[in-house]
This record gives sequence, structure tokens and C-alpha cells, in this order.
Amino acid sequence: MFVGLLISLSIISEYIFLEPYIIAHLPEGTEFGLVLIIAVSALSSLVIPMNVYRIRIIQTSKRKISGSVFGSIIGAAAGACSCGPIGFAVISTFGSVGAVTTSFLTNYEIPLRLGAIALLIFVYYTTVRSLKIECQLNK
Amino acid sequence: MAKKGIIAGGIAAAIIISIIIMVLASQFGSETVNLDMQRMHGDISTAMGSPVLGNANAPITIVEFGDYQCEQCYAWYHNTKPAIVQNFIDTGKANLVFVDLAFLGKDSPKAAQATYCAEDQGKYWEFHDILYNSQEHIDNGWANSERLKAFAFSLGLDMELFESCTDSGKYSKRVQYNIDEARKQGANGTPTFFIIDSEGNKQKISGAQPYSVFKNVIDSMI
Repeated sequence: MFVGLLISLSIISEYIFLEPYIIAHLPEGTEFGLVLIIAVSALSSLVIPMNVYRIRIIQTSKRKISGSVFGSIIGAAAGACSCGPIGFAVISTFGSVGAVTTSFLTNYEIPLRLGAIALLIFVYYTTVRSLKIECQLNK
Repeated sequence: MAKKGIIAGGIAAAIIISIIIMVLASQFGSETVNLDMQRMHGDISTAMGSPVLGNANAPITIVEFGDYQCEQCYAWYHNTKPAIVQNFIDTGKANLVFVDLAFLGKDSPKAAQATYCAEDQGKYWEFHDILYNSQEHIDNGWANSERLKAFAFSLGLDMELFESCTDSGKYSKRVQYNIDEARKQGANGTPTFFIIDSEGNKQKISGAQPYSVFKNVIDSMI
């Protein structure tokens, strides 16, 4: 899941290009953005499977998975909706509302990704805690 | 006597009309639009795009569809373009045409129109450069009307001409034509490049890709 997320986010954030050649490119000044993408990918691939496990095996509440999915989506959307195909599609479809949304997601890319990471860390912490309690109870 | 009066009157009228035409020409002469409506690169109409940067007869043309508020365009401008200019444009192997795909925010079309107002005074590429050196966040005011006028002032443009051009929306249809051309060519983001050889063959490059990609594509087409 981590590799899949990292590659997907790197493509939509234009760190990896598929055409005309497959090439990875890290422009000067965008290193921190890549670090945040790696963090979002790593945390999402930890938190989402843990919550899926909680729901499917322990049959518990779905509240935490919504937090983890929300954090992952925000982390992925921030910056991805700029001048690339996703932003273009959003603006073409939703007009000025889409333009305002994409410019917000682009302008606040770093704070949004940091917020998403904070949310994912929080969900990870609470999930680990509740898993410990729920597993003990099930024993 | 009457004939002489008619002839004299005719000459006087002709002189007055000539003077009026000369005055009007001197007032509006610098606002003429130098468009080559037939200009095509492959199947891409660049008639309404920028002036050609570099040798107009170069065997390769790079058409860039871009937005002045796009940060990827900014990245390409600063990281990749200098090497392309140095190795391909300055050497006469390639030329470059910029075509607006101004879609990101409300100030994007205004910035694009302003470049053509600067072109009226022979400063298209200087204005283009100043925009990509001044880029900030989308629609945060860095490319609003006042700032565009400030850029024009800093380039020493005739402000009366520039302001009448931007305020009247003289080039709004030109920019819209370019946006339509970009969509027609399947450009669905900025920057999107088409490398076109003298026979009209073209290769698309999407995004702010590194110099090595452009070098490989251009070398394979020369």
C-alpha cells in the first residue's frame, strides 16, 4: 500500500513522469514537499489497514477509519490540484468554484499536508490504544 | 474662376484629410497588432501566441502552453528553460512560442492579456520574464491590474498606451483563442509542450520535465 500510494502521489504531484519516458525528477526547492508525501503515504498505509482490521475482525466502530481516510485524502489532494490534469479537470468541471478550491489547495499545500500528517498521527495513536484495549477484552 | 476655386478647395480638402490621417496614424501606430494569422506549427495554430523566441526558421519549434500563475510553469522557467535557451535557441537549432492556457485563477487571463499589451510596445518577452520572476500564490494580488501596470512602468513602457490596452480588454479574445487552441490540442494542464519538427511531426511533453527529456526528444527529431 505504501509503495502504491507513494508512486500515485509522486505522479500527481509531478515528481514522476510517465511520458515520453519514465523519469523521476526532484526540482530544486521541492524537497520538503516530497518528504511530506512520503510521510502521508507511510502514515496512511499504517492507519488505514489498522482500522480496516478493527472493523472487519473486531467489528467495532467506523469512526476512526473516516478520520484516517479524510487525512489521507487531504494529504493527497493538497498540491495535487494545481496546474496538472487534476486541477484542470476540476476547474473545467466546476468553473469558478473549482478554481477557488484548487487555488486554496495549491496555495496552502504545505500547511494542509502538515495538518493531514497531524491528523493521521492522532488517528494512529488512538487506533493503537483502542486496539490494545479491544484485543484484551476479546481475549 | 469658379474652376480654380473648386481645384483649390479640392487640394485644401486633400491636405486636411492627409493631415488628419497622419495625426491618427501617429496616435495609434504603436498599437497596431502584428499578427501572422497563417502561422502554424504542425497542426497547432500559434497565430495568436507569443512572438517567436529565437530563429524563426529553426528546424525545431517548442510550443509551450502555460499559465503565468502556475507554479510548475515557474519551476520549468527557472530550472529547465535556461539550458534549452542556451543549447537550442541561442544556437539556432530550435525556437520557442508561448501560447496561453490561462485557467488557474481570475488574474491569469489578465496577466496573459498584459503580455500582448507589452508586445504592442516591443516588450513581450521582457514582460513574460518579469511575470515569471515575480510569481506568488494564485490570485493573491501579485498579478492584479495594479501590479501589472507597475511591471509595465518598471519596463519603461508608455503607460498611457499600456493602460488603455489592458483596461479596454483589447486582447481578451486573443487569449481566449489561445485557450481554445490548447484544449483542441489536448493540453490538460500546464505547462504542456509540443516539440515540432520542420515536417510537422510533433511530440507532447506534459509537465515541468527536466532538461534531459527535452534534449532527448529534440535530438531525436533533428
